[in-house]
Amino acid sequence: MSVLDEIIAGVKEDLAERKIPRSEIEAAAYGAAPVIDCLPIMRAQEMAVIAEVKRSSPSKGVLASIADPAALAEQYQEAGASAISVLTERRRFSGSLADLDAVRKRVTLPILRKDFMVDEYQFFEARAHGADLVLLIVAGLSDSQLHEFAALTNELGMRALVEVHTHQELERALEIKPELVGINSRNLKTLEVDPKAFAELLPELPAELIRVAESGISQRSDVEFAQKYGANAILVGEALVKAGDPNLAMRDLLGQRWAYSMLDSKLVIDGLGHFGPYGGRFVPEALIGALEELEAAHSSALEDPIFQAELAELHRTYSGRPSIITEAKRFAEHAGGARIILKREDLNHTGSHKINNVLGQALLTKRMGKSRIIAETGAGQHGVASATAAALMGLECVVYMGEEDTKRQSLNVARMKLLGAQVVPVTSGSRTLKDAINEAMRDWVTNVENTHYLLGTVAGPHPFPTMVRDFHKIIGEEARAQVIELTGKLPDAVLACVGGGSNAIGIFHDFIKDTDVRLIGLEAGGDGVETGRHAATISGGTRGVLHGTRSYVLQDENGQTIESHSISAGLDYPGVGPEHAYLHDIGRAEYRAITDAQAMAAFALLCKTEGIIPAIETAHALAGALQVGNELGPDATLLINLSGRGDKDVQTAADYFGIPL
Amino acid sequence: MSTNTALDQLFVKTRAENRAALIAYIPAGFPSQAGCHKVIETLAKAGVDAIEIGYPYSDPVMDGPTIQAAATQALENGTGVTEVFAALKHATDQGVAAVVMTYWNPIEKYGVAKFAQAIADNGGSGVITPDLTIEESDEWRTAVDTSSINPIYVVAPSTKPERLVKVTDQCGGFIYAASLMGVTGTRSGISSGAGELVARLRKVSNKPISVGLGVSNREQAKEVAAFADGVIVGSAFIKAIQDAPDEASGLAAVSHLATELAKGVREAR
Ligand SMILES: Cc1ncc(COP(=O)(O)O)c(C=O)c1O
Repeated sequence: MSVLDEIIAGVKEDLAERKIPRSEIEAAAYGAAPVIDCLPIMRAQEMAVIAEVKRSSPSKGVLASIADPAALAEQYQEAGASAISVLTERRRFSGSLADLDAVRKRVTLPILRKDFMVDEYQFFEARAHGADLVLLIVAGLSDSQLHEFAALTNELGMRALVEVHTHQELERALEIKPELVGINSRNLKTLEVDPKAFAELLPELPAELIRVAESGISQRSDVEFAQKYGANAILVGEALVKAGDPNLAMRDLLGQRWAYSMLDSKLVIDGLGHFGPYGGRFVPEALIGALEELEAAHSSALEDPIFQAELAELHRTYSGRPSIITEAKRFAEHAGGARIILKREDLNHTGSHKINNVLGQALLTKRMGKSRIIAETGAGQHGVASATAAALMGLECVVYMGEEDTKRQSLNVARMKLLGAQVVPVTSGSRTLKDAINEAMRDWVTNVENTHYLLGTVAGPHPFPTMVRDFHKIIGEEARAQVIELTGKLPDAVLACVGGGSNAIGIFHDFIKDTDVRLIGLEAGGDGVETGRHAATISGGTRGVLHGTRSYVLQDENGQTIESHSISAGLDYPGVGPEHAYLHDIGRAEYRAITDAQAMAAFALLCKTEGIIPAIETAHALAGALQVGNELGPDATLLINLSGRGDKDVQTAADYFGIPL
Repeated sequence: MSTNTALDQLFVKTRAENRAALIAYIPAGFPSQAGCHKVIETLAKAGVDAIEIGYPYSDPVMDGPTIQAAATQALENGTGVTEVFAALKHATDQGVAAVVMTYWNPIEKYGVAKFAQAIADNGGSGVITPDLTIEESDEWRTAVDTSSINPIYVVAPSTKPERLVKVTDQCGGFIYAASLMGVTGTRSGISSGAGELVARLRKVSNKPISVGLGVSNREQAKEVAAFADGVIVGSAFIKAIQDAPDEASGLAAVSHLATELAKGVREAR
């Protein structure tokens, strides 16, 4: 007697014991919640995953105890599985219908009842317990059984996954016009796995079928192998139940370790802060301890309700959150008539989005028991915000600012000093923001014991890009709800200016999962990307490492950083946050360059049409809105992050427009 | 990962002689291309055992004002990868062990495997990478293995014990122990952190350990040579050149300092 025959004999015995009258089980089947059709869900994926809840197997014995099968299934769902398979065979697989019930309660994906189906009763039973799919193992069924069971499956509205091991079985399977065929590479008689089965049988499956590779899928190369021969779905159990983190294991199999989980816009990262090839840590060893300490403080703060409450209270009573949205109707007339909605971060205390990050990091500084913060600043907005938070929380504050910028933004230098901060003009290198960051890093290496480096954007070594994003994502969370409330739907596009990328990632992040919403970042094009005098890092740069992270960088053929140019000091930076580099590469966000002249025209337009003086940084996003609005026309709704107000830029704007002061 | 570079051989020799090696740092292209080559010759003649050729970089976050200024000058002199390899070759031609010290981005830009091979092709023993963390070093590891050169990583007084094991495990040639928490530059005294760090390193590795950051005179060299296998001096040489009124007196100052330091490393034990 083969292993399969033995299992089937056991299944029949168990079934005899639990059977209830046929009429009752039929009634339960027809009374169950409607079937969830797996076909469209699976077809939407290049490689769909049927993720299996499986405790043990005849070939491997016990795999995992799985005390809470529903929780595991939920993790599969979050990780992006297209269907869940639940083993219900008791003797060899330690499964049960109770497992199926538990999983059904918790997931919304289609569920495959995986068992050895040898009796009509089992089909009603499967449906009664909420299954959407059943398994038909050709090797264990006669031709007439196959036809009969396929028809019954159909009648109950379910789909059948028809499993074959050989050419001969495949021919028999195709007779019943299946929609899903699984090639099982495990020989059911010997229990050996032979991937040759994929190579031989997958190519013979008609293209319109869902072609599932089953068994022996334990690493990425196995998936690639199956895919090469035509598989568009995999059924995996062992590799997932044995992994410490099933979510990560599934992403590994799909070669998307870094991909976003579209369900919650959370990025699955590896603990080293990578966004695909970007991010990570390129820093002197002396800073590793401080970065690890910061990472730990940030993760514990994320989970700590007291920290979150303290931050929320500061938002409400100090910075003025939630910030409002304003519909810019007169401005919109110039933007092709599209609806233009402004998220008013300019109304925050200190005049820009920067305060969100600064308050978060200042609280973390106290949590780490440090007494001194240092910060870099270009336009002075982040410096002012840092000095503000330091004053509020009684921290010592030193701000590094390129000597060039201290001249361009003298008003902000005075503000920082009034707030009690020390401003250090940086005279090395190009004397701008990038050199201020260098100097801040040198200070940090030297004084790391009592000092926190309060970096002002989503760049720098891990954990800064994720941490700063986490402090800014409230912008998008608020705006998404506000826009839906106002317009009844999601916007067509979300736009923001991109220097290091903090205000942009802040408003983008909650929309990443809304794949129909275009995310558009506007970089500083300076005199035009083609002139080489610009700060459009993604549009005009190449992959490289700067300030501790891998991203796009403006650099020459020797890897030397090229100085950036922009009328806007806050965008005048030759690097950009790694998450933007990644969003760009995977095509989830688009980046365009806006010249100084285009930005200043949009600046003037917003002043005159809406009575709002924006920061020049923000004017780049507004210029983008004029372009995109004209491209999309009057039916479109655009959400723009109005990242800051223009008080600090009055001097620059007056010079630009020739207004005598 | 076993290598037999000139640097590996140097430490076999200095250990046999029961002394520390003297390692000098000079950025390529400083004070000029030709000037740099003369400095290299002078260092070799004055008894320096190994030379680190610095790759001048636009954003040197590990360096203090002295080396920053030298790097800026070198970049203004048009120093790029070609000049770096030429200086490296010139050093190895003088019969001393030579390595390149560079921030990571220029390596990545040039091509990781290609860079490692170019080091080997120019007679270089290895590369010091002060901002490459071991977590980011997979590609580099393969490249240095293929080209049989030494990957030299920097450890700091703040490096935790379990991490010291991991980093030193990856080091070849020697382990670069940063004597203090800070950037390059001369200091009036050797920090007590240096001896403590070396003692911690000895417990986890028997690879040669060289101490850098802040060593600038014979006394300090002697002090460090008592417990380290190598003494690294950079800013002091650069300062000697920067402070000299002309090239000839600069070279004389370099020669004098190197001779003094060479005595220092020999009188420690
Ligand atoms: C108002 C405003 N918007 C945008 C920026 C650019 O920074 P980020 O790209 O990190 O949002 C700045 C920086 O100073 C700013 O002040």
